[in-house]
Amino acid sequence: MIYLQLFFSFMKIGFTSFGGMSMVPLILEEMQSHGWMTARDLANLVAIAEMTPGPLGVNCATFTGTQTAGTLGGLVAVLGVLTPAFTLTLVIAIFFEKFKDSAVMRTVMKFVKPVCIAMLLGVLVTLGKDTYFSDGGLLIFSILISAVMMVLLRKYKWSVPKVIGLSALMGILFYGVLPLAQTIH
Amino acid sequence: MKKERVKKESALRTGIMLFLVFFKIGCFTFGGGWAILAQMEQEFVDKRSLITKEELVEMVAVGKSVPGIMITNISMLFGYHVGGVIGGICTVLGITCPAIIILSIVTMFYNSFKNNYWVMAALTGIRAAVIPIIGSAALSLGQEVLRTRMAFVILGAAFALYLLGVSNIVLVLTAAGIALVYHAAGKRIKDDAETIIKGENN
Repeated sequence: MIYLQLFFSFMKIGFTSFGGMSMVPLILEEMQSHGWMTARDLANLVAIAEMTPGPLGVNCATFTGTQTAGTLGGLVAVLGVLTPAFTLTLVIAIFFEKFKDSAVMRTVMKFVKPVCIAMLLGVLVTLGKDTYFSDGGLLIFSILISAVMMVLLRKYKWSVPKVIGLSALMGILFYGVLPLAQTIH
Repeated sequence: MKKERVKKESALRTGIMLFLVFFKIGCFTFGGGWAILAQMEQEFVDKRSLITKEELVEMVAVGKSVPGIMITNISMLFGYHVGGVIGGICTVLGITCPAIIILSIVTMFYNSFKNNYWVMAALTGIRAAVIPIIGSAALSLGQEVLRTRMAFVILGAAFALYLLGVSNIVLVLTAAGIALVYHAAGKRIKDDAETIIKGENN
Protein backbone atom coordinates (compact mmCIF):
# COMPACT_ATOMS: atom_id res chain seq x y z
CA MET A 1 0.00 0.00 0.00
CA ILE A 2 1.90 2.97 -1.37
CA TYR A 3 -0.04 5.61 0.60
CA LEU A 4 0.70 4.01 3.95
CA GLN A 5 4.37 3.64 2.98
CA LEU A 6 4.54 7.31 2.04
CA PHE A 7 2.82 8.36 5.24
CA PHE A 8 5.13 6.36 7.49
CA SER A 9 8.25 7.35 5.56
CA PHE A 10 7.48 11.02 5.99
CA MET A 11 6.41 10.55 9.58
CA LYS A 12 9.83 9.00 10.21
CA ILE A 13 11.49 11.93 8.45
CA GLY A 14 9.41 14.39 10.47
CA PHE A 15 10.27 12.91 13.83
CA THR A 16 14.01 12.66 13.17
CA SER A 17 14.65 16.03 11.54
CA PHE A 18 15.40 19.27 13.28
CA GLY A 19 14.79 22.22 11.03
CA GLY A 20 15.53 23.28 7.47
CA MET A 21 18.17 21.58 5.37
CA SER A 22 18.80 18.81 7.91
CA MET A 23 15.67 17.19 6.47
CA VAL A 24 17.27 16.72 3.05
CA PRO A 25 19.65 13.85 3.97
CA LEU A 26 16.80 11.99 5.67
CA ILE A 27 14.55 12.44 2.65
CA LEU A 28 17.29 11.24 0.26
CA GLU A 29 17.85 8.12 2.36
CA GLU A 30 14.15 7.23 2.51
CA MET A 31 13.61 7.93 -1.19
CA GLN A 32 16.56 5.81 -2.27
CA SER A 33 15.70 2.91 0.00
CA HIS A 34 12.22 2.76 -1.57
CA GLY A 35 13.49 3.54 -5.06
CA TRP A 36 11.14 6.52 -5.26
CA MET A 37 13.61 9.13 -6.36
CA THR A 38 17.16 9.58 -7.65
CA ALA A 39 19.82 11.91 -6.23
CA ARG A 40 19.32 14.04 -9.35
CA ASP A 41 15.58 14.46 -8.71
CA LEU A 42 16.34 15.37 -5.11
CA ALA A 43 18.79 18.10 -6.14
CA ASN A 44 16.16 19.51 -8.52
CA LEU A 45 13.61 19.30 -5.73
CA VAL A 46 15.76 21.28 -3.29
CA ALA A 47 16.09 24.03 -5.89
CA ILE A 48 12.32 24.04 -6.55
CA ALA A 49 11.50 24.03 -2.84
CA GLU A 50 13.83 26.96 -2.26
CA MET A 51 12.24 29.00 -5.04
CA THR A 52 8.60 28.50 -4.03
CA PRO A 53 6.92 29.92 -0.90
CA GLY A 54 6.34 27.72 2.12
CA PRO A 55 8.48 25.58 4.40
CA LEU A 56 11.06 23.30 2.78
CA GLY A 57 9.72 20.16 4.49
CA VAL A 58 6.16 20.63 3.21
CA ASN A 59 7.41 21.44 -0.28
CA CYS A 60 9.57 18.32 -0.33
CA ALA A 61 6.76 16.09 0.94
CA THR A 62 4.27 17.42 -1.63
CA PHE A 63 6.74 17.00 -4.49
CA THR A 64 7.84 13.50 -3.54
CA GLY A 65 4.35 12.25 -2.71
CA THR A 66 2.89 13.63 -5.93
CA GLN A 67 5.76 12.21 -8.00
CA THR A 68 5.33 8.79 -6.43
CA ALA A 69 1.56 8.42 -6.12
CA GLY A 70 -0.29 11.44 -7.52
CA THR A 71 -2.13 14.19 -5.67
CA LEU A 72 -3.40 11.91 -2.92
CA GLY A 73 0.18 10.69 -2.42
CA GLY A 74 1.28 14.29 -1.95
CA LEU A 75 -1.40 14.92 0.68
CA VAL A 76 -0.55 11.74 2.56
CA ALA A 77 3.17 12.60 2.57
CA VAL A 78 2.42 16.09 3.93
CA LEU A 79 0.23 14.64 6.68
CA GLY A 80 3.09 12.32 7.54
CA VAL A 81 5.66 15.09 7.80
CA LEU A 82 3.20 17.13 9.91
CA THR A 83 2.63 14.36 12.46
CA PRO A 84 5.16 15.79 14.96
CA ALA A 85 3.32 19.14 14.89
CA PHE A 86 -0.08 17.50 15.41
CA THR A 87 1.08 15.20 18.22
CA LEU A 88 4.25 16.13 20.08
CA THR A 89 4.05 19.89 19.56
CA LEU A 90 0.36 19.93 20.50
CA VAL A 91 1.16 18.23 23.80
CA ILE A 92 4.00 20.70 24.37
CA ALA A 93 1.66 23.60 23.56
CA ILE A 94 -0.69 22.38 26.29
CA PHE A 95 2.15 22.17 28.83
CA PHE A 96 3.98 25.16 27.38
CA GLU A 97 4.84 26.85 30.67
CA LYS A 98 6.56 23.72 31.98
CA PHE A 99 8.42 23.03 28.76
CA LYS A 100 9.68 26.55 28.15
CA ASP A 101 13.11 26.18 29.74
CA SER A 102 13.53 22.46 29.32
CA ALA A 103 17.14 21.46 30.03
CA VAL A 104 16.50 18.02 28.52
CA MET A 105 15.69 19.41 25.09
CA ARG A 106 18.71 21.71 25.24
CA THR A 107 20.96 18.72 25.88
CA VAL A 108 19.32 16.75 23.08
CA MET A 109 19.91 19.62 20.67
CA LYS A 110 23.55 19.82 21.75
CA PHE A 111 24.01 16.21 20.62
CA VAL A 112 21.75 16.19 17.58
CA LYS A 113 22.91 19.41 15.89
CA PRO A 114 26.47 18.18 15.17
CA VAL A 115 24.91 15.00 13.76
CA CYS A 116 22.85 17.21 11.43
CA ILE A 117 26.09 18.72 10.11
CA ALA A 118 27.53 15.25 9.53
CA MET A 119 24.38 14.26 7.63
CA LEU A 120 24.61 17.37 5.47
CA LEU A 121 28.24 16.53 4.63
CA GLY A 122 27.07 13.04 3.69
CA VAL A 123 24.38 14.35 1.37
CA LEU A 124 26.93 16.70 -0.22
CA VAL A 125 29.12 13.71 -1.09
CA THR A 126 26.16 11.90 -2.70
CA LEU A 127 24.94 14.93 -4.64
CA GLY A 128 28.51 15.89 -5.61
CA LYS A 129 29.04 12.52 -7.29
CA ASP A 130 25.90 13.01 -9.36
CA THR A 131 26.48 16.68 -10.13
CA TYR A 132 30.17 16.74 -11.06
CA PHE A 133 30.62 13.33 -12.65
CA SER A 134 28.44 12.31 -15.54
CA ASP A 135 28.96 9.28 -17.80
CA GLY A 136 32.54 8.94 -16.62
CA GLY A 137 33.43 12.58 -17.43
CA LEU A 138 34.04 15.51 -15.15
CA LEU A 139 31.60 18.41 -15.60
CA ILE A 140 33.98 21.37 -15.34
CA PHE A 141 31.29 23.98 -15.90
CA SER A 142 29.29 22.62 -12.96
CA ILE A 143 32.31 22.99 -10.68
CA LEU A 144 32.72 26.54 -11.96
CA ILE A 145 29.05 27.35 -11.27
CA SER A 146 29.30 25.89 -7.75
CA ALA A 147 32.39 27.95 -6.96
CA VAL A 148 30.83 31.19 -8.22
CA MET A 149 27.60 30.56 -6.29
CA MET A 150 29.46 29.75 -3.08
CA VAL A 151 31.23 33.11 -3.27
CA LEU A 152 27.97 34.94 -4.07
CA LEU A 153 26.19 33.22 -1.17
CA ARG A 154 28.84 33.59 1.51
CA LYS A 155 30.74 36.74 0.58
CA TYR A 156 28.10 38.85 -1.18
CA LYS A 157 25.11 37.46 0.80
CA TRP A 158 23.01 36.82 -2.29
CA SER A 159 19.56 35.37 -1.59
CA VAL A 160 18.95 31.75 -2.59
CA PRO A 161 16.33 32.43 -5.32
CA LYS A 162 18.74 34.89 -6.96
CA VAL A 163 21.56 32.33 -6.89
CA ILE A 164 19.27 29.71 -8.43
CA GLY A 165 18.18 32.14 -11.14
CA LEU A 166 21.75 32.98 -12.15
CA SER A 167 22.83 29.33 -12.11
CA ALA A 168 19.90 28.46 -14.38
CA LEU A 169 21.09 31.08 -16.87
CA MET A 170 24.65 29.76 -16.65
CA GLY A 171 23.33 26.23 -17.15
CA ILE A 172 21.44 27.29 -20.29
CA LEU A 173 24.60 28.97 -21.58
CA PHE A 174 27.08 26.16 -20.81
CA TYR A 175 24.89 23.11 -21.36
CA GLY A 176 22.38 24.49 -23.88
CA VAL A 177 23.90 27.16 -26.12
CA LEU A 178 27.52 26.00 -26.08
CA PRO A 179 26.92 22.39 -27.30
CA LEU A 180 24.63 23.73 -30.06
CA ALA A 181 27.24 26.26 -31.14
CA GLN A 182 29.85 23.52 -31.27
CA THR A 183 27.74 21.29 -33.51
CA ILE A 184 27.12 24.18 -35.91
CA HIS A 185 30.87 24.74 -36.38
CA MET B 1 -25.70 23.95 27.14
CA LYS B 2 -26.30 27.16 25.25
CA LYS B 3 -23.15 28.70 26.61
CA GLU B 4 -21.14 25.73 25.41
CA ARG B 5 -22.45 26.11 21.90
CA VAL B 6 -21.48 29.78 21.86
CA LYS B 7 -18.00 28.85 23.03
CA LYS B 8 -17.69 26.25 20.29
CA GLU B 9 -18.81 28.73 17.65
CA SER B 10 -16.31 31.34 18.71
CA ALA B 11 -13.54 28.73 18.75
CA LEU B 12 -14.49 27.85 15.20
CA ARG B 13 -14.50 31.50 14.21
CA THR B 14 -11.03 32.00 15.72
CA GLY B 15 -9.89 28.89 13.89
CA ILE B 16 -11.13 30.19 10.54
CA MET B 17 -9.47 33.55 11.17
CA LEU B 18 -6.17 31.83 12.00
CA PHE B 19 -6.45 29.62 8.92
CA LEU B 20 -7.02 32.58 6.61
CA VAL B 21 -4.27 34.76 8.06
CA PHE B 22 -1.71 31.96 7.96
CA PHE B 23 -2.84 30.98 4.47
CA LYS B 24 -2.02 34.53 3.37
CA ILE B 25 1.35 34.42 5.11
CA GLY B 26 2.07 31.04 3.51
CA CYS B 27 1.32 32.36 0.01
CA PHE B 28 3.81 35.16 -0.06
CA THR B 29 6.71 34.10 2.09
CA PHE B 30 9.74 32.99 0.15
CA GLY B 31 12.88 31.84 1.88
CA GLY B 32 11.56 29.47 4.52
CA GLY B 33 11.07 29.73 8.26
CA TRP B 34 12.72 32.99 9.20
CA ALA B 35 10.86 35.05 6.60
CA ILE B 36 7.58 33.59 7.88
CA LEU B 37 8.50 34.56 11.44
CA ALA B 38 9.07 38.16 10.41
CA GLN B 39 5.56 38.19 8.90
CA MET B 40 4.09 36.66 12.06
CA GLU B 41 5.66 39.35 14.17
CA GLN B 42 4.24 42.08 11.95
CA GLU B 43 0.77 40.56 11.87
CA PHE B 44 0.31 39.39 15.47
CA VAL B 45 2.65 41.42 17.64
CA ASP B 46 2.46 44.82 15.93
CA LYS B 47 -0.92 44.81 14.18
CA ARG B 48 -3.25 42.66 16.28
CA SER B 49 -1.39 42.53 19.62
CA LEU B 50 -2.45 38.91 20.16
CA ILE B 51 0.89 38.02 21.76
CA THR B 52 3.92 39.91 23.00
CA LYS B 53 7.30 39.79 21.34
CA GLU B 54 8.72 37.84 24.31
CA GLU B 55 6.04 35.17 23.97
CA LEU B 56 6.84 34.81 20.28
CA VAL B 57 10.55 34.49 21.06
CA GLU B 58 9.78 31.76 23.60
CA MET B 59 7.66 29.91 21.05
CA VAL B 60 10.48 30.10 18.52
CA ALA B 61 12.95 28.70 21.04
CA VAL B 62 10.65 25.77 21.85
CA GLY B 63 9.57 25.23 18.22
CA LYS B 64 13.21 24.98 17.16
CA SER B 65 13.99 22.25 19.68
CA VAL B 66 11.08 19.98 18.78
CA PRO B 67 11.46 17.52 15.90
CA GLY B 68 9.76 18.32 12.63
CA ILE B 69 9.38 21.46 10.55
CA MET B 70 10.26 24.50 12.66
CA ILE B 71 7.61 26.80 11.28
CA THR B 72 4.75 24.33 11.61
CA ASN B 73 5.79 23.67 15.20
CA ILE B 74 5.76 27.38 15.96
CA SER B 75 2.41 27.69 14.16
CA MET B 76 0.97 24.96 16.38
CA LEU B 77 2.26 26.63 19.57
CA PHE B 78 0.90 29.98 18.44
CA GLY B 79 -2.46 28.63 17.24
CA TYR B 80 -3.00 26.76 20.50
CA HIS B 81 -2.14 29.88 22.48
CA VAL B 82 -4.76 31.91 20.59
CA GLY B 83 -7.49 29.37 19.89
CA GLY B 84 -6.90 26.07 21.68
CA VAL B 85 -6.62 22.72 19.89
CA ILE B 86 -8.83 23.80 16.95
CA GLY B 87 -6.81 27.00 16.64
CA GLY B 88 -3.56 25.04 16.55
CA ILE B 89 -4.74 22.64 13.87
CA CYS B 90 -6.21 25.47 11.74
CA THR B 91 -2.97 27.44 11.97
CA VAL B 92 -0.82 24.51 10.84
CA LEU B 93 -3.20 23.75 7.96
CA GLY B 94 -3.26 27.43 6.98
CA ILE B 95 0.51 27.74 6.72
CA THR B 96 0.89 24.47 4.78
CA CYS B 97 -2.03 24.66 2.31
CA PRO B 98 -0.45 27.23 -0.05
CA ALA B 99 2.74 25.19 -0.24
CA ILE B 100 0.75 22.04 -1.05
CA ILE B 101 -1.23 23.75 -3.81
CA ILE B 102 1.77 25.49 -5.38
CA LEU B 103 4.03 22.44 -5.24
CA SER B 104 1.33 20.19 -6.75
CA ILE B 105 1.16 22.49 -9.76
CA VAL B 106 4.95 22.79 -10.01
CA THR B 107 5.35 19.00 -9.84
CA MET B 108 2.91 18.60 -12.73
CA PHE B 109 4.96 20.99 -14.85
CA TYR B 110 8.21 19.42 -13.72
CA ASN B 111 7.14 16.06 -15.08
CA SER B 112 6.15 17.43 -18.49
CA PHE B 113 9.15 19.73 -18.89
CA LYS B 114 12.08 17.98 -17.27
CA ASN B 115 13.08 16.24 -20.51
CA ASN B 116 13.03 19.40 -22.61
CA TYR B 117 16.51 20.28 -23.92
CA TRP B 118 16.63 23.80 -22.50
CA VAL B 119 15.02 22.89 -19.19
CA MET B 120 17.56 20.11 -18.77
CA ALA B 121 20.40 22.56 -19.40
CA ALA B 122 18.97 25.00 -16.85
CA LEU B 123 18.48 22.21 -14.29
CA THR B 124 22.08 21.04 -14.75
CA GLY B 125 23.20 24.56 -13.84
CA ILE B 126 20.77 24.73 -10.93
CA ARG B 127 21.97 21.42 -9.49
CA ALA B 128 25.47 22.86 -9.41
CA ALA B 129 24.08 25.69 -7.26
CA VAL B 130 22.28 23.32 -4.88
CA ILE B 131 25.62 22.02 -3.58
CA PRO B 132 26.85 25.44 -2.37
CA ILE B 133 23.33 26.16 -1.03
CA ILE B 134 23.39 23.05 1.16
CA GLY B 135 27.09 23.60 1.89
CA SER B 136 26.37 27.13 3.04
CA ALA B 137 23.59 25.86 5.32
CA ALA B 138 26.05 23.35 6.79
CA LEU B 139 28.61 26.13 7.31
CA SER B 140 26.11 28.38 9.09
CA LEU B 141 25.00 25.51 11.29
CA GLY B 142 28.65 24.77 11.99
CA GLN B 143 29.33 28.34 13.07
CA GLU B 144 26.39 28.09 15.46
CA VAL B 145 27.08 24.62 16.84
CA LEU B 146 30.80 23.82 16.66
CA ARG B 147 31.89 25.81 19.71
CA THR B 148 32.94 22.99 22.02
CA ARG B 149 35.35 20.10 21.63
CA MET B 150 32.48 17.71 22.29
CA ALA B 151 30.56 19.05 19.27
CA PHE B 152 33.56 18.28 17.02
CA VAL B 153 33.85 14.78 18.47
CA ILE B 154 30.15 14.10 17.85
CA LEU B 155 30.42 15.45 14.29
CA GLY B 156 33.48 13.30 13.57
CA ALA B 157 31.97 10.17 15.05
CA ALA B 158 28.67 10.67 13.23
CA PHE B 159 30.37 11.26 9.87
CA ALA B 160 32.60 8.20 10.34
CA LEU B 161 29.56 6.07 11.17
CA TYR B 162 27.75 7.52 8.15
CA LEU B 163 30.64 6.51 5.88
CA LEU B 164 30.51 3.04 7.41
CA GLY B 165 26.91 2.82 6.23
CA VAL B 166 24.93 3.64 9.37
CA SER B 167 21.63 5.22 8.34
CA ASN B 168 20.78 8.84 9.13
CA ILE B 169 17.74 7.95 11.21
CA VAL B 170 19.81 5.63 13.40
CA LEU B 171 22.41 8.40 13.83
CA VAL B 172 19.83 10.96 14.97
CA LEU B 173 18.07 8.55 17.32
CA THR B 174 21.37 7.39 18.82
CA ALA B 175 22.47 10.98 19.43
CA ALA B 176 19.13 11.78 21.08
CA GLY B 177 19.37 8.61 23.20
CA ILE B 178 22.92 9.40 24.36
CA ALA B 179 21.79 12.95 25.17
CA LEU B 180 18.97 11.63 27.37
CA VAL B 181 21.33 9.31 29.24
CA TYR B 182 23.90 12.10 29.58
CA HIS B 183 21.24 14.43 30.93
CA ALA B 184 19.91 11.87 33.41
CA ALA B 185 23.44 10.98 34.60
CA GLY B 186 24.39 14.64 34.96
CA LYS B 187 21.29 15.32 37.05
CA ARG B 188 21.94 12.27 39.24
CA ILE B 189 25.52 13.38 39.95
CA LYS B 190 24.28 16.88 40.77
CA ASP B 191 21.59 15.47 43.10
CA ASP B 192 24.12 13.17 44.81
CA ALA B 193 26.52 16.08 45.29
CA GLU B 194 23.72 18.13 46.80
CA THR B 195 22.76 15.39 49.29
CA ILE B 196 26.42 14.97 50.29
CA ILE B 197 26.80 18.71 50.84
CA LYS B 198 23.57 18.76 52.83
CA GLY B 199 24.75 15.78 54.87
CA GLU B 200 28.04 17.53 55.70
CA ASN B 201 26.18 20.62 56.78
CA ASN B 202 24.07 18.55 59.13
